[in-house]
Amino acid sequence: MIEVSGISKNFKNFKALDDISFTVKDGEIVGLLGENGAGKSTLLRTLSTMLKPDSGTAKIGNYDLISDSKEVRKNIGILFGSETGLYERLNARENLEYFANLNGISHEDATQRINELSETFDFGSYINKRVGTYSRGMKQKIAIARAIVHDPSVVLLDEPDAGLDFRASKIIFDFIEFLKKQNKSIIFSSHSIENIKNYSDRIIVIHKGRLIESFNVSEYREKYTDKEINEILFNLVCDGDENV
Amino acid sequence: MKFCLIWFVMVMKMFKNAIIVFIKEMKDILRDKKTFLFGLIIPFLLIPTMLFAIDYSMNFFQGGKDNQVYVAINNKENSFYRFCTAHQNIKFVDTDNPQAALNSGRISAYINIQDNIDDDIINKKNIDIDVEFGTSSLGSMLSASAIGYYKELYLALIQYITDNDYAKNVEELRVLAEDKELNQNLTEIYPYQGSQDIGFNTSSLYFNMLVPMMLILYCCIGSSSTASDLSAGEKERGSLEALLSTGASRTSIIVGKLFATTVMGLISGLCTVLGLSTYLMISSDSQMSQVSVADVLALLATTLFTSMFFAAVNLAIGVYSKSSKEAQTYLMPVSIISLIPTYFTYSMDLNSINLKYLCIPIVNVICIIKEILAGVLNFSHLGIVIAWLIVYIAIAFSLTAHMFKKESVIFRI
Repeated sequence: MIEVSGISKNFKNFKALDDISFTVKDGEIVGLLGENGAGKSTLLRTLSTMLKPDSGTAKIGNYDLISDSKEVRKNIGILFGSETGLYERLNARENLEYFANLNGISHEDATQRINELSETFDFGSYINKRVGTYSRGMKQKIAIARAIVHDPSVVLLDEPDAGLDFRASKIIFDFIEFLKKQNKSIIFSSHSIENIKNYSDRIIVIHKGRLIESFNVSEYREKYTDKEINEILFNLVCDGDENV
Repeated sequence: MKFCLIWFVMVMKMFKNAIIVFIKEMKDILRDKKTFLFGLIIPFLLIPTMLFAIDYSMNFFQGGKDNQVYVAINNKENSFYRFCTAHQNIKFVDTDNPQAALNSGRISAYINIQDNIDDDIINKKNIDIDVEFGTSSLGSMLSASAIGYYKELYLALIQYITDNDYAKNVEELRVLAEDKELNQNLTEIYPYQGSQDIGFNTSSLYFNMLVPMMLILYCCIGSSSTASDLSAGEKERGSLEALLSTGASRTSIIVGKLFATTVMGLISGLCTVLGLSTYLMISSDSQMSQVSVADVLALLATTLFTSMFFAAVNLAIGVYSKSSKEAQTYLMPVSIISLIPTYFTYSMDLNSINLKYLCIPIVNVICIIKEILAGVLNFSHLGIVIAWLIVYIAIAFSLTAHMFKKESVIFRI
């Protein structure tokens, strides 16, 4: 469960986030849509405690973003951008153990969890090989496993589909659906209206740091055709000023 | 009591995560073959190779007993010329333009003998031999030391002859000056001892300047590539966000990285010390072999703290940089700037080392290295320098940790 209440963030004179509030339930996928510089990455970085909000706060699980930041970090998994950010001279197991240990998981528990993930994502055949020898798809799987190696209740993904081909994108979105089945709260941002529409339960549109629209995809699907939803989303993202 | 316990648990947790980060970083670094080459092997080989090359060039160019020294003289009708012909390694070159010959390095010295020098010797008057040395190359300068030696040897011979009234006239003087047996005895009494004869020990000069310079340089550059990879490199790879969103505190992450960076700087520094020790063990030069085990230990301690200081500085720069390339742009001048105190302290003699110098970063390290190399290590100086280095390390590390916590630095917003 994520409860965001009135988060604002300024960078010098630039208002990156302006009084953002929303809730993400357990097992819900929320898609963040917005232009470049709308504030999607800033919001996700703030929710992952990398940036400190100027005002407002959020609750991740039962922990407050500001006063319990360490516990918040233990309860979130992140995947930022399409770059996997793995250590290429280490093998997959070492990469995963490193992040598990930093999240306070013991060596034995980490080994068990990594074996489980290896079966789920089918990377057992290359888990002990150096990451530098992997293909893009193989790296994606390990980066995904890294994000959830400590079994977080919340997963934040910032443009995980950017620059990916069809095969690598499929790995990402299969993973998002897998997380939903595990009853995790998920927020993912994307520039792709199609991906946001197809994989989100709810869509939040951000424009110039403000939340301008939040709606359930299933409700829209009842009212509009697929083409009309695309049109609505496109207009919201590109002509956001009129909706602010 | 409760507060102390909580504090202790927090510190232990921080160190636990710092050790996790440290072990991972070391594993990552040591799997890189380039690290072995540039961080370990090159520093180990560099100093011995350099010093052996200097030794070789000294021996090769030095106008010693076995090497030829080319000189020109204004007047051959005198006892000095005859004396020189008795020594086979002095070769006279005929030239119309001695200055040009000196400048071009064709001759190492031009000897200007006063007219009627032999008459003056017989009449027990003061004599003057003017020698103009070439400075076009190290070889000329070293040959000059040999000429200086022969001049002194000649004056000793003349003193011996005149004191004992062995020469009644100019012709007898010239015959005695070129007497092979007399000259042989003289060279045995006053043997040639290299460039030290004229109070100029070039080998020692290079040794005392190059060793501190190389040690400082490798303590600095040994950790610079690691610092850049562990900080700016994380940003570039996109792994920093994942790292910062773990349960580990930023202080523990940066402490782990500082340990790893220090170890790499230390390994480079130690390889430099090891290379130097190897040279000292092999070298037969007595002046250089006076470094004891205690001196080597002091050198190691100095290297450790110097490496830590540079690791903290380099890491602060790496944390600030957006990419490894940007970090390298900043780190390169740092390594060059760190060498400036080695030039500054070069002309300083050991007696002039005072508390002021022992407090200035880098300068204080060089002072200690100079003392160690001279075999006159002062342990209170060593203590003062290490204490100051700890202060500088604490300042540099606090700055690094502060920067690592600042979002404006981490994300360069």
